[in-house]
Amino acid sequence: MSTVARNLRVVRRMTAAEIAQQSVYRGAWIIFMLANICMPIISLLIWRTALSNGAQLPVDERYITTYFVLLGFVTMATSSWMAAFLANDIRLGKLSSWMVRPASLLVGFVANNLSEKFLKLFALVPMIGIVWWIFRDSMNIPAGPGRWALFAVSIVLGAVLVFTIDILIAALAFWMDDVGALVQARVIISSVLSGAVVPLALMPTWSRGFVDHQPFRFTVSFPVEIVAGQLTGRELLAGFGIQLGYVVVLGVIARLVWSAGIRAYSAVGA
Amino acid sequence: MTSAHALPPVIAAHDLTKTYTFHQQRAGLGGALKSLVKRKYETRLAVDRVTFDIERGEVVGLLGPNGAGKTTTLKMLSGLLYKTSGDLEVLGHTPSDRKHDYLRRIALVMGQKTMLWWDVPAMESLLLHKDMYGLSTAEFDRNVAELAELLEVEHLLNVQVRKTSLGERMKLELMAALVHGPEILFLDEPTIGLDVVAKARVRTFLADVNRRRGTTILITSHDMDDIEALCSRVMIIDHGRLQFDGGLDDLVRTAQPRKLVRATYATPVDGARLEGLEGVTAVEVSGQTVKLQADRERAGFVMEQLTRLGPLVDLDVADADVEDIMRDLFLRRSTLGDAS
Repeated sequence: MSTVARNLRVVRRMTAAEIAQQSVYRGAWIIFMLANICMPIISLLIWRTALSNGAQLPVDERYITTYFVLLGFVTMATSSWMAAFLANDIRLGKLSSWMVRPASLLVGFVANNLSEKFLKLFALVPMIGIVWWIFRDSMNIPAGPGRWALFAVSIVLGAVLVFTIDILIAALAFWMDDVGALVQARVIISSVLSGAVVPLALMPTWSRGFVDHQPFRFTVSFPVEIVAGQLTGRELLAGFGIQLGYVVVLGVIARLVWSAGIRAYSAVGA
Repeated sequence: MTSAHALPPVIAAHDLTKTYTFHQQRAGLGGALKSLVKRKYETRLAVDRVTFDIERGEVVGLLGPNGAGKTTTLKMLSGLLYKTSGDLEVLGHTPSDRKHDYLRRIALVMGQKTMLWWDVPAMESLLLHKDMYGLSTAEFDRNVAELAELLEVEHLLNVQVRKTSLGERMKLELMAALVHGPEILFLDEPTIGLDVVAKARVRTFLADVNRRRGTTILITSHDMDDIEALCSRVMIIDHGRLQFDGGLDDLVRTAQPRKLVRATYATPVDGARLEGLEGVTAVEVSGQTVKLQADRERAGFVMEQLTRLGPLVDLDVADADVEDIMRDLFLRRSTLGDAS
């Protein structure tokens, strides 16, 4: 059996077990999802109020509405929370019990991520469905399935990108005693630069060159833009090229840093 | 278990060395602030040019005081740590490469770290290992049945791991480690924290596994009963150096060349007659009891003399307790180390 096939079987097994474990905490993930969707809804109401009071924005009400209705789903779908946990495992030597087994060291984190997303879908999709129904007349809904397919692909690539960035940050724990500050900095910076707080379309004109090409845009904003915005075919092509480029380049860097880190691993503790 | 000397050793270490680099930080706010600006890095030699071979099917005890380098050695052998220098080959592989073919042939059990999922039954972890090690259903079922019977844990396989006792959990850890049939089992303090009954069960199980499957076992333990029950050979590591490598009997003879003799008489005796005897030391006479230490080769003669002291009720001749020998050995080396 090939390494990939074996790891996929392990991920499948672990994801099933993780779902079984997490299903116990139903209340927790419903509350978590409510929190996840609250911020986009509040932002939506604020921006719609601003527009109705005559605010001059570079985007219209339909864009803003579609953007914030989809934001909660995309943020959940592409998010990763493994950096702090992985860094902790490295620092405290908990990686050891995985290192002596013939599977990727990351399968546990992949399974945890997939299982939580699977469960959250059940809570989040109905909530977004309600919001969607409320604002259905003032949203940009793509007519054909093409945009939705591209939307799905960009979400998968965005999720891989976030996961890769997390591995890269966590791998620094092989050399640094604590990467907590770095993890926190990433959360703050990415929440702004990904478009999770304010649509990147509202960023100052002078910053657009940087904002449109930095990696965090492709973790949240770009997938939402595919549906909400009026991206031309050329812009879509360029966007996917850049997104894929970031996945490949950061993936290679993460792999190199991880390999070097494993050599420095001190496997602390008995 | 007899060693197959015609075959190459399953573990071959030559001048194996490992150094760690770390920085020191003084306690308190001042020390913390100073360490932000300037750090003093130090290198510590954890394992120093250790050379040994281990044959297939051997059960070897790796002994030493805390911080001696035995766990570091075990971690290098199992591929967790990269060696700093020297040569190391286990089952024909360089362990730190962590190749699939290598990892599927070994197992490491750390007494203080778990490889079982905490919140689900142990069977989930076993099934994970089935996928991980590519076991067929028939092979998996056979191994689970055999190990569960040997360890007497059939009733625990479908219980949440966190609801099991420490002893039960260690049995389940051993089961998870052995379900894929590893050729080498590395054990780091496998009986730590267990009660005497659980310890005995684990020792019997490990001896069974070695006998039935021919599994090579390398074990570190501070419990000398583990070592006496399981190991035909011991290696003592101290200050990173291999200080002794041989049979447990050899260790006892080398470290404590005298027999401990205790004679009990029906009436009080005069022990003064034993004082001048060649090869006799540490004579203690207390009423009807005489305790002394005798050179091994003079033990027969000394016992003959003891029978002439008075009406003998009981005579006990023993080697020094391994635990006492190890304590003396480590204390002596620690004192020497401190002095140097």
